[in-house]
Amino acid sequence: MAFLEQHIHDEPKTFVSKYLISYDHKVIGKQFLWYGIFWLLVGGLMAMLIRWTLAYPGVPFPIIGSLLFPHTGGVVPPDTYAMLFHMHGTIMIFFAITPILIGAFGNFCIPLMIGARDMIFPTLNMLSFWFSMASGGLLLLSLCLPLGAAAGGWTSYPTLSTNLGQPGAGQTLWLLSLFLFGASSTMGAVNYITTVITLRAPGMDYFKMPLTIWGIWLTSILNAIFVPVLGAGLILLTFDRVFGTTFFLAGAAATSGKGDPVLFQHVFWIFGHPEVYILILPAWGIVSDLLAFFSRKPAFGYKMTALSLTAITVLSTVVYGHHMYTTQMSPLLTQSFMTLTMLISIPSAIFFANWLGTIWKGSINFASPMLFSLGVVFVFGLGGLTGLYLASTSIDLYLHDTYFVVGHFHYTMAASVLLGGFAGTYFWFPKMFGRMMDERLAKIHFWTTMIPLNGIFTGMMLMGWAGMHRRLYNPFIYEFMEKLMPLNKFTTYCAIAMGIAQITFIYNFVNTIFNKKLPQAENNPWKVGTLEWDMPSPAPYYNFKEIPHVKCGPHEMGNPNLPEGKDFQYQTEELVKA
Amino acid sequence: MATKAQNLEEKMFQQSVAMTVTLIAFSMLFATLFLGFFLVRFNTPMWPPVEIQGMPVFLPLLSTIIMAVSSFTYHRLQTREPMRGFYWKLTFGLGVSFLICQKLLWSALTAKGILVSNGNVPSMVIAFTWIHAAHIFMGLALLLWLGRFIFKKKEELTEIKLINVGKFWHFLGVVWLLMYLTMFVL
Ligand code: HEM
Ligand SMILES: [Cu+2]
Repeated sequence: MAFLEQHIHDEPKTFVSKYLISYDHKVIGKQFLWYGIFWLLVGGLMAMLIRWTLAYPGVPFPIIGSLLFPHTGGVVPPDTYAMLFHMHGTIMIFFAITPILIGAFGNFCIPLMIGARDMIFPTLNMLSFWFSMASGGLLLLSLCLPLGAAAGGWTSYPTLSTNLGQPGAGQTLWLLSLFLFGASSTMGAVNYITTVITLRAPGMDYFKMPLTIWGIWLTSILNAIFVPVLGAGLILLTFDRVFGTTFFLAGAAATSGKGDPVLFQHVFWIFGHPEVYILILPAWGIVSDLLAFFSRKPAFGYKMTALSLTAITVLSTVVYGHHMYTTQMSPLLTQSFMTLTMLISIPSAIFFANWLGTIWKGSINFASPMLFSLGVVFVFGLGGLTGLYLASTSIDLYLHDTYFVVGHFHYTMAASVLLGGFAGTYFWFPKMFGRMMDERLAKIHFWTTMIPLNGIFTGMMLMGWAGMHRRLYNPFIYEFMEKLMPLNKFTTYCAIAMGIAQITFIYNFVNTIFNKKLPQAENNPWKVGTLEWDMPSPAPYYNFKEIPHVKCGPHEMGNPNLPEGKDFQYQTEELVKA
Repeated sequence: MATKAQNLEEKMFQQSVAMTVTLIAFSMLFATLFLGFFLVRFNTPMWPPVEIQGMPVFLPLLSTIIMAVSSFTYHRLQTREPMRGFYWKLTFGLGVSFLICQKLLWSALTAKGILVSNGNVPSMVIAFTWIHAAHIFMGLALLLWLGRFIFKKKEELTEIKLINVGKFWHFLGVVWLLMYLTMFVL
């Protein structure tokens, strides 16, 4: 394969060209990081309001409650409660996790780790960020509307999301906002896919790419294919709301004609199930790499891991029906979807076993990125296993729409992705900002997050198992759920503890970026051989003076043939042999 | 290291990867709409249902012919260098006429009392044509962009630009053809 001459951009000089309107993938990555963290805080605050209401129904939210809801004396009103869980889900999925895992790490890591000077289309990249900003802006705007923001749940099923279920502009703004978000994601995906295909440095074969890149690349493929499906659904729902079409209207909601609300569920989950893998694949990739780096061993079964991730990507496109077992599908269909869903556990089990194989007999360095990665191994194990219960139709008929589902997807999506995101942040921080985050605070952050986190999500699964439904304002007015009050209180305390624990992170993050007295990070603080660690910290604006020539895999560590005093080699070095 | 010619080939390759991925994304959007259309269609006891009886026949046919001719003129634009400007104007004009045809079609539907709010089938037919027309707008914008290189900055006109805009334009033609066949003919 021939290699394109990549010219070096001019060095940005002004504040605006350096930080605001930048074509540089590293700057765009950081912009996405800040953007995602901002939304993480907004979504987190909403989670607190939700949890408070579930533990203390009818009691004013402490301190800021009376500010937020003056007309009820600080109590979260029922309609606001619906809006809160809708916005919490939307924000966390599309405005926090996506920008951080895909926007920030995707942008920052792809060119650096494959040995390119930038993304292939820097302008498109910048545009993708600004589209995200616009979509975030619309969402914020919808929070200020007199009738409130959308409140049909992040899945926005009709009839909840039609004009009948949701008068006012909130839901329409939500649809537009997500449409812009989709455009941004698709642009990003086109850019990432093309960059990985065409700009890999000489010698960087697909099977020499770090697994982080594998994860992000597969995510981008799913994004390019399935986000437009959501786009179509959003357009049709918007038409229903604005132009009086009747795609999803039935019964009393339809003045004439007969639409089908379940059609939206199909469209949503054809997108929605791949979407959950879109979110987790980058985290899986990052964790696969970090486990190897901090066990000082090559990743166990590297090729198998990459292929399993690919198999999961392919299978994830044909299992969406497991979200719809209760919609009176034909039993033949439910059983097919059940079988296909169960099939996913084969490749999942393979790469999971490979993770354990990587750690096995490694000389483990429990630095903060490793702690968080091990955390992912633990929480993903729990989340994945609970998925199998839900995949089985007969069990799901009971568990569907209970807190068990909420517990399941928080373990897989919230916990795994969040911990994976933290792992990546602590790991690449020196290369992004040129200083090391404080290790002691990072470790405190890990334990103060990990312990309450498990309290919250195990609590959710237990109450779900006991039959507590999701999305209820006050479940305890039903007799059979009364006894779940103490468990709900416990879960809320854990949530508050976990919320407070994030202050350590925010402090550490902001202080390390802005405190000029802190020392400069070394070029390669973690002693890792992938391309981005063979350059100054922070990475220079041109990335590589000379495009590197890659000669070996990403985790060549602990090789007994290495000379004394060295336990890893760079990807640009010939693999040492005996 | 790469020679100049190799470099050009590389560039063609990568841009064509990008356009292909983009078109896959757009195909999924339209595929979802087709899925919706077919579900609606197969759940309708009688075809065509009363809601869309008396749909115009001539206008969609004319649109199809216009689209087909414009694909042909675009092909000429790409291959006949001396006449490029002429074929560009022709293609662009045909694109605009397609939109005019669509506008007439919508007016005709309204006149016949076939409205979006009349049920699922008219909803689908009308919304689908709206969405396709919106993409034709995008295609025309791309043609305008290309026109800048054909008429003004001639030295920056590259084969890749011609190919990519062409791919998009032909894609919209194919989508229209499928729409025409499934909604207006069969
Ligand atoms: C490992 C194998 C997995 C299996 C077998 C599985 C299975 C399922 C099933 C059957 C449901 C539907 C439950 C119901 O609504 O009744 C479900 C819901 C869900 N799963 Fe998983 N899952 C797996 C992994 C994941 C992963 C990795 C993620 C995210 C990163 C995820 C995110 C979700 C979400 C977000 C929902 C619920 C969406 C909602 O209704 O709001 N799952 N899962
Ligand atoms: Cu799923």
